[in-house]
Amino acid sequence: METAHTDKNFEQKLNHLTDNLIKMSNIVEKQIEIAVNVIKSKDSSDAQTTQNLDEQVDEVERDVRDLSFEIMTLHRPVASDLRLVFTALKVSKELERMGDHSRNLAKRAISISSSFDEDLTDQMHNLGKGVQKMVNQTLESFFKKDEVQARISWNQDAEIDRQYKSLLSDLIERMHNKETSVVDEGTKPILIAKSLERIGDHATNIAEEVIFNITGHYIDLKKSDFE
Amino acid sequence: MVDQNSNYALQTSEVYVHYGKKMAINNVALNFPKNEVTSLIGPSGCGKSTFLRCLNRMNDVIDICNVKGKFLLNGNVDIYSPDIQVETLREKVGMVFQKPNPFPKTIYDNVAYGPKIHGIASSQNELDEIVKDSLHRAGLYEEVKDRMDDIATGLSGGQQQRLCIARAIAIRPEIILMDEPCSALDPIATAKIEDLINELKENYTIIIVTHSMSQASRVSSKTAFFHLGNLVEYGETGKIFTKPDKEQTNDYITGRFG
Repeated sequence: METAHTDKNFEQKLNHLTDNLIKMSNIVEKQIEIAVNVIKSKDSSDAQTTQNLDEQVDEVERDVRDLSFEIMTLHRPVASDLRLVFTALKVSKELERMGDHSRNLAKRAISISSSFDEDLTDQMHNLGKGVQKMVNQTLESFFKKDEVQARISWNQDAEIDRQYKSLLSDLIERMHNKETSVVDEGTKPILIAKSLERIGDHATNIAEEVIFNITGHYIDLKKSDFE
Repeated sequence: MVDQNSNYALQTSEVYVHYGKKMAINNVALNFPKNEVTSLIGPSGCGKSTFLRCLNRMNDVIDICNVKGKFLLNGNVDIYSPDIQVETLREKVGMVFQKPNPFPKTIYDNVAYGPKIHGIASSQNELDEIVKDSLHRAGLYEEVKDRMDDIATGLSGGQQQRLCIARAIAIRPEIILMDEPCSALDPIATAKIEDLINELKENYTIIIVTHSMSQASRVSSKTAFFHLGNLVEYGETGKIFTKPDKEQTNDYITGRFG
């Protein structure tokens, strides 16, 4: 159990910082969930929702940044408090990028023809579901300060990358075979898959920050199995 | 454990201090690297000042205070040996106190007093040089050079504290102990003392007790955290203030009750 701070004002600001991150995480998780569903539904109003949510994400990110500066200037945090502020700044940036990718992929998903190959759509959707799960677990590990869970989430990225590569080679192969429904969409499915894969990478970065926040050390992990 | 490594100005081990039956220091071992600043931090009553005062035998004057342990100066001088005169020890280990305590004498006499009684100067000219040099090193000379015969108590608090540092330097110590030297000073005077500490470490080993976490992090390269008479953690200041090993250290420096 964490002990109470002697400076209540400082403690309130640290709690507020965490609250902002929880708020931001909830919005981004929602954005990803909607965006992944749009891959199948092609619902343009849902795609618009991801755009609207993105504005909220940007706003909270600014709040996190301003509050972090205020805490550093007025309270000069050290040790675990200092790590929390640094982690907040970095995690909020990762979340903001995840939000951008969600918005972009939803926008691209609605522009893909409804006659697009069902199997490839399923593959994209499955990749999205995997990413969504990884993001949820990573963020949970952050708020629960669960180092073990953060490491498990970090390791999930290899599976995301494997699915991404598999989808990519499928797409390229079908283009080689001049399958009209695939060729007509050009790079859109590739960019959607890439956005999902990038969201996974940002989740990995967050997992690394979670481990730093808890232990004070960055893990030395290499993605040697994925180029 | 004390070894013969002379990279340390002072080495201590198995230090126990009791005030009557009350234990103030419990089996502390701490070494002080030469020409570095070491901060001793911890809540009031943790033993940091008691420990500091052991290092030049200031506790000798307290009847109920019982000090045990090994204290080696430069790897070979046992400072509690019966052969060691306290006055001789304090030539090597000077001290600056929390509250500036200049003698009610002139600025010149304040600095000249130590060298005189310790027989450091062989002539008036040499004494003048020591006084001038000490005031220079303490960053005070330019401010007082035209009023050396003024009474020192008329100086500002910050100037008085720098005068006390000049007084400590004048007897050419190897180690300077500082017991919260800035707690009675405003931020500008504090900044001057901190700058001075930074310069002084080139020639002296400095051990400072401070309640200010930010001061410890600014001025020292090593930090020792005391709690209830125990040395909880000692290490590089940068590490202590970013990722201390002990939760108790983290709680204290972040302002949480442990």
